[in-house]
Parts: sequence; structure tokens; C-alpha cells
Amino acid sequence: MASVFNTAKLSARLASRYAPRCAARRGFRISSRNEAAQNFTMPALSPTMTEGNIANWRVKEGDSFSAGDVLLEIETDKATMDVEAQDDGVMVKIMSEEGSKGVKVGYRIAVIAEAGDDAASVEIPAEDKPAEEGQLARKDRPSPQEKLAGGLDPAESSPSSAEAPPSSAPESDASAGGAAATASAAQKETKPQSGRAQKQTYPLYPSVEHLLHTNGLTKEDANSIPASGPNGRLLKGDVLAHLGRVKKDYPSQSAARLTKLGHLDLSNIQLSKPTLPKTEAAKEAAAVPEIPQETEIAVPISLSAVIATQKKVNDTLGIFLPLSTFIARASELANEDLPLSKSRKPTANDLFNSVLGLDQVAASSRGRYTPQVMGLATPSSTAPARRAKKQDIIDILAPKSTAKKSIAGRPGAVGISTGANVFSVVAKSGEEKRAVEYLERMKLALEKEPGRLVL
Amino acid sequence: MLSRLAPRAAIRTAFQAQKSTPHLLRAAPITSLFGDRISQRRGYATPAEERDLVIIGGGVAGYVAAIKAGQEGLKVACIEKRGSLGGTCLNVGCIPSKSLLNNSHLYHQILHDSKHRGIEVGDVKLNLKQMMSAKETSVNGLTKGIEFLFKKNNVEYIKGTGAFADEHTIAVNLVDGGETSVRGKNIFIATGSESTPFPGLTIDEKKVITSTGAIALDKVPKKMIVIGGGIIGLEMASVWSRLGADVTIVEFLGQIGGPGMDAEIAKNTQKIFAKQGMKFKLNTKVAGGDDSGDLVKLNLEAAKGGKEETVEADVVLVAIGRRAYTSGLGLENIGLETDDRGRLVIDSEYRTKIPHIRVIGDCTFGPMLAHKAEEEAVAAVEFLTKNYGHVNYNAIPSVMYTHPEVAWVGQNEAELKEAGVKYKVGSFPFSANSRAKTNLDTEGMVKFLADAETDRILGVHIIGPNAGEMIAEGTLALEYGASTEDVGRTSHAHPTLAEAFKEAAMATYGKAIHY
Repeated sequence: MASVFNTAKLSARLASRYAPRCAARRGFRISSRNEAAQNFTMPALSPTMTEGNIANWRVKEGDSFSAGDVLLEIETDKATMDVEAQDDGVMVKIMSEEGSKGVKVGYRIAVIAEAGDDAASVEIPAEDKPAEEGQLARKDRPSPQEKLAGGLDPAESSPSSAEAPPSSAPESDASAGGAAATASAAQKETKPQSGRAQKQTYPLYPSVEHLLHTNGLTKEDANSIPASGPNGRLLKGDVLAHLGRVKKDYPSQSAARLTKLGHLDLSNIQLSKPTLPKTEAAKEAAAVPEIPQETEIAVPISLSAVIATQKKVNDTLGIFLPLSTFIARASELANEDLPLSKSRKPTANDLFNSVLGLDQVAASSRGRYTPQVMGLATPSSTAPARRAKKQDIIDILAPKSTAKKSIAGRPGAVGISTGANVFSVVAKSGEEKRAVEYLERMKLALEKEPGRLVL
Repeated sequence: MLSRLAPRAAIRTAFQAQKSTPHLLRAAPITSLFGDRISQRRGYATPAEERDLVIIGGGVAGYVAAIKAGQEGLKVACIEKRGSLGGTCLNVGCIPSKSLLNNSHLYHQILHDSKHRGIEVGDVKLNLKQMMSAKETSVNGLTKGIEFLFKKNNVEYIKGTGAFADEHTIAVNLVDGGETSVRGKNIFIATGSESTPFPGLTIDEKKVITSTGAIALDKVPKKMIVIGGGIIGLEMASVWSRLGADVTIVEFLGQIGGPGMDAEIAKNTQKIFAKQGMKFKLNTKVAGGDDSGDLVKLNLEAAKGGKEETVEADVVLVAIGRRAYTSGLGLENIGLETDDRGRLVIDSEYRTKIPHIRVIGDCTFGPMLAHKAEEEAVAAVEFLTKNYGHVNYNAIPSVMYTHPEVAWVGQNEAELKEAGVKYKVGSFPFSANSRAKTNLDTEGMVKFLADAETDRILGVHIIGPNAGEMIAEGTLALEYGASTEDVGRTSHAHPTLAEAFKEAAMATYGKAIHY
């Protein structure tokens, strides 16, 4: 906020329209927890403000003021701002004189009383200092980590809950202020849930007003009755307790019970057994981590047709096509649109689309197989070239499987012309059908019409 | 879907149009603070830049948090995979069902109730297709509305499925193809819930349906069985019963309405529904089912054992509750825990054990209600920006939008007895309310439960016309710790149904005038 004032280059006067008003309210709210005279503390005029200088008091001790009057001017490193009174009142005593430098936010700078009170006779309340000197008020609240360590019980982990559970955001800011923090701490020490008397700044509830009138109590008496309602509001039950018609501590007990109901009960959380999420996790991430069972599937494929084609091409066109070209192209063809693996988990999108009937779930996908060929003779002259080429395709098709990159060649062990070379692939469990389909297609392509692979 | 077809250029102009509005606002000093942030947020996201907040899920919890965070000046992205915002509530839950409930009620009223009011109509025909398309129109209007609010509040909308890659990074599988990843300083999980399936029955959304199928049947079933007499089950039972189906509700417990509904109210409700033609089998267990044939067969037996029977229906609605939905979210990648019912574990400020990841809405604790999710969304964002947020779980109303409506807030009699709280009861029937009388709609009552000592309101339970709107007053009273006397001494306009509310309050601390 301070930077707004800075960059917008607004006059302090203009700025005061907005910021100090809430700041002053903050100040009032803090002190309003005390009876009669109230401490007026250094307001935080911006979230970053930690201290300020008092430039000028516009009211003197004993002066009364009404809501909207400028009480004092405060200098910060950013700007000079007016602090307006939020409510009517009397200035009882000024604690920090004009020119005081570096007054910490939350420190008492004056004592004020309600309008109409005699400034001279009002008892000056004790200074309620911020919990730790020099510490920023906000730090009084436990850090998230500290609170987290404090357990999951909401009543414990929320410091202000005992005092004003369903309070609004600005109210919480107020309780973040030093004064209230100590007040609530002190309250916690004595009795965790007892309602406190406080000035009733809102209109009294109709039932309360009715009870006060019918029992000869004044509106001022209402401020001294311990209030158990949300944000310190005075409830019918509080007045009844004050009149002795119900037990003194009953309203606060019932308020405590309701406060507890107002929070999620996070006390008895039964964590799911660690095995459960693991199996779920495994299911979800089936594709990645687990090492599925693998089976090797092999099909004998005769390469005689390929050799014949190779020869024919060489004879007619004068181009020598290495065997690897045939095999690679056949493999590429065979990899197209293979049936899906049984263990393939459909993606969330597939599922979602199928639920909505938007999209058909894909029934096939491209495979990434490369064959291991046993008993393939390697004509030495073409070997290097074939290797290089084969590597290329493998890199594209199966970048992850390094194991399959080597081609087991046993030179001359099995004659090429005699036909059957064993082509094999390794299939993960559930993918057998896919692998067989692949090899079948390889067989078809290489044995029946190898010519079409290269022409 | 539409956006997939829309040409790129059109999208781009939409973005530009959005760009121009904040300039007007920038004159105000408060905006200038965030001006630099806003301008960074424009246009397409680059995956590298880190958002202040990334929200997984664009349902009620997610979209409300996104808008609120946008309003607070955070750089926020919201990931939703459905293709439209609003989640279950807007797309297949509260909203479409309310459309059907309202229109089926009108149909039913014209058919059976108009004559003695002095309105005679000729042939009344049901055009189910048109009724469904009226529903679609409402839903589309509302989901598009949220998209507009996203643009207005500078929320980046990512259409895709998000999963945790690490504590700060969400990998997104985009709906339109491709992948991206988003980094967030803070992350909210708002993935919602799904219908709990019934063991032994396969949900095909045609014969065996959940609430999703129940708002999209293409013809009125002859016979329908609803498993589960909670709010969803009863609402859907109402719709199809009004449209002419023979509906039987099978409930395991001895009372309809689910656990929160006050027993007296539940009993009244059941009586009224029975008059409307619904059949009830309470204390009855569905032991098994067979959905292989044209008709679905269910084996029923008394909950305490014994007495078996087999029933058949064209459609079986499974409405036994909902469960947190977190699958595919990659929780295992960051070690987040769920409880035994799959709900993500949080503390009182919605933080998981990784403090910058918070969880709101149905996928964590508390009642699975849209307005609860909404409250949590705002509170969670305020915990981020203001260090404090407020949700009073004791003042979250529940409403069943049947006719008459049923609504309640706070505790019921059984809960108060269990807590050992002495309470007093005050009630007022709508049959003694002038407005209800003139409307010829006098079924139901308002019932207050207040502390016997202090008169503080502990619970309000309403069955009757407009109960869902009226419960707002009860919620406000509860939030402010009011006594029934406070309500009773507050003026209520005459003649309104709300007078019954006031009179019931008066009957609690004193005496009602008109009864």
C-alpha cells in the first residue's frame, strides 16, 4: 500500500482518506477490548510500516473529538498521513509527544475514552505492550510451519479461534496487532473460553435491548457484560447470565461448543493404508516404473525372396540394396497400427472422452519393435553400411531400448539361401499379441513381396 | 469443444479485447500497484514463468479460488480437463438438475394442479427433448459466464489434465493435444468428487445410471429404482416421478434425506413424497444386482437380515454418495496423503503437509456442497493473501430442491441429544401462513431448535415452499449467534412465506401469534 502512495504521488491528505481510516479502526478495535479508557496505539498505515514518527497532535489532552476528526499526523518514511478518529471520544492522555521518533506499530501513543467520559477521572489502563519488543506485530502469529507442527486440531492451531472464531478478515488483522495478541494470550492463560466484556460497537440485538430495558439496565451496562457472541457480540444468553437467570459460564461454554462445530473436525484422520495408494499408484503409472515380465517371441522368416529381389534389382538397375534396408522397411511397415497392449492404461483423456462419448478410444497404436535376427549372414562388404543405417532407424523407432540395438550376426552359420532366419522381439507381458502381429507382418512383407519394400 | 473449432485469429481477438479493459481501470491508484503484474499476464503463457497460484480443477472450488485470486492481484492459472468450467455442479450436478426440477414441476402442476386453480388447459404434452435442451441452454450460459469472468479477472485458463510432476510443477496433458507444464509458487487442489459406484452393477449411464445419467435420460423410464434416499436420489426421483415414471426409493437407513436431515422433517417429507406417488423401501439393503438383461434386476433384503425379494426396473439410479476424486493427479509423485476414504489430508488452513499446496472442496473433508467449496476457495485465497480466512462449518446450509423444498442449517435434534445439549423446539406450519394459503401450497413447516437456557439458535429446519431461499435467514442468524427472540422481534413482510419463519421463532421463545 505504501508504494501506492509513493508512486501515485498522492498528497498525504488524500491518502489519509483511505489508509488511515482502516488503520485507525484497527487501533480502536485493538484497544476496545479494554473497559472505559482505551489505549490508542500506533496504527500501521501500510502493511510494511513498522514504526513511525509523530509529527503533530491535533487534539490536546481533555479535548473531545468526533468521528472523522483528525487526531494526529504520523510521518513514515513514505509520507505524512493524518489519522482520523473512527468514533466519538475524549483524549485522556497523550503518551508519545509531538516529535517522537521511531514509535513502533502497536505501541501505546495515547489513552482515549468514550465521548462524554470525564477525561480527568478516567482510570488509565495499563500499557499492553506487544509480546516481544521490536518484533513486528505480524510475527506474533505462529508461522504456518509452527502451527503445522502443533497438530491438526483446529482449535489449537488457530490462535484467534478461542477469542473470536468467525471474525472477519480485518478483525483478524487487528488481532494480529500486538495488543490483541497479548490480550488473547493472557486470556488463554486464565480461562480459555470465557467471554469478555467489551464495548458493543454494533447495534444491540433486539432481544438484548429488550432484556436491558425490562431489567433497568442501560446501554452502558451492556459494555460491561461478558459477551460470548461472534466478534465479541453481546447475546441474549450473556444478558441472561448477567441477570443470574442462567449459569454464569454457560453462554461461553456453549459458545465454545459452537466454535468447535464451526471448524472441520480434523482430529481423527485415518490415513489410508500405505499399501493402498501404492497399488493405485502402480496402476496409474503402469507405463513408467515397473519392470514388466518379458517374453521373447521368435518367428522363422525366410529371406530367400529378399535375396532374389536384391539380386534382381542389382542386375536390372545396378543398385545394390543391403538386406538391412529390406528389414528396416519391413519393420517400419509392420510397426504401423499394432493392436494395443493389454496392460496399456488408457490416459485420463481417453477415459474422460469415452465417458462423455466424445471420442472413440484409439484401438491401435504404432509399435516400436526392431527385430533381432539370428542366423543372418553378414556379407562383409555391406556390413558397415548396414550397421550405420540400421542404427539410424533404431534410434528413431526405439530410442530407449539399447539392448536391442545389436544385431546378432553369425557369419556363415546358416546359409542365407536356405531360408529360415529367426526373427525375434522381446514383448512385455500383455503385449504378446502385439508382438506376434508385428512378426507376422514382417514375415509377410519379407517373404511374399519384398519388391514392394524398395520400389 | 467449440474452442477447438474456433479459428486461432478469433481467439486472439478475444484476448485483445480483454487486454483493453484494464487500461481504463489503471487510472485508479490501487490498480497501478498491480499494473506491472497484469501486463505480464497477457497473452499466451510461456511454460517457464512461475504463477503465484496454480489451481487444479475448474469446478466450484477451483474457479471461485481462481477468480478471487485474480481479484487479489495474483498471477493465477486454472487447469480444467472437462472442456467447460464449473465442474460437476454446473455441468452435471446442481444446475442441470435444478432446471429439470423446475420444469418438471411446472409440467406436473399444469397436469394435475391447474384445474382447481381455475386454469383449464387443453392437451398437455411432454417434450422431453426440449426440456433437456432448455437445461443445456442454462448450463452453457453459466459455464460460458465463468469463462468470461476468468478473462475479466485475468485468470489463465488451461484446458487439460494436470498431474504433479514435482511439488511446484504440474504437467498438463492438453485437451487440444500436446503437453505443457505449469509452475506455481502455490498450488490448490480442487479436483472434486465422483459418484460412488455400486458394487456388482456396471454403470453405463443408460440402464444403470448415476446423477450424470439421470439428468440426460432420452425417454421417461417406465419403472425406476433409486438406490440411496439422500438428496441427490430424492431430487432425481422427483423429476422422473413427475414426468411419469414409477419410482421406488431403496434406502438402507430408517430415514430418508441423508444424515443431516432432522428426523421429524424427514418423516414429513417422506409422507408428502408418498402422496406424490413415490414408493419407499427403507431399512432395505440391495444385496446384489444383475444388469445383463433389458431390465435391471435387484435383490433386496431387509437391512437387519431376512426377507428377500427381487425387483426389476428399466433404470436403476445409483445415488449412494460421492467420493473424493484424485486419481491421475500424481499424488504419489509428491507423497501427499489421503485418508481411508480417499480425501486429501489438510490442516485448518487447508494446507497439506507440503505447506504451499492447499486442498479445497469435495476432495477434502467436510460436506460435499458447492457453497461449502466456494467458501473454502475464498478462505484459502485469503489465507494466502491476508493470512486469515473464515469458514464457519456450523453455518453451512443444506437444501433439497424437491417440492416442497427441504432446507436446514446447524444441528438437528438427534445431534443435539447426542451432544447432551438441552434444547427447546418451536415450529410453525405453512398451513397457518397466509401466503402459503393463497398459493394453495401449504405443506410443510418451519422448525427452530434453540438452546434451552440462552435461546441461542442451534438449528433451523424447514420443509415447505421456498425453503431453500428462506434458509438464508437462518444461516445469517446462526452466523451472528442470534437467539430466536432476535428473529421473532425482526419485522418480516406481510404476506410472505417468511412470516412462518418469524412465527416459528416466536413459538420457540414464546408463542406464535397465528397458530
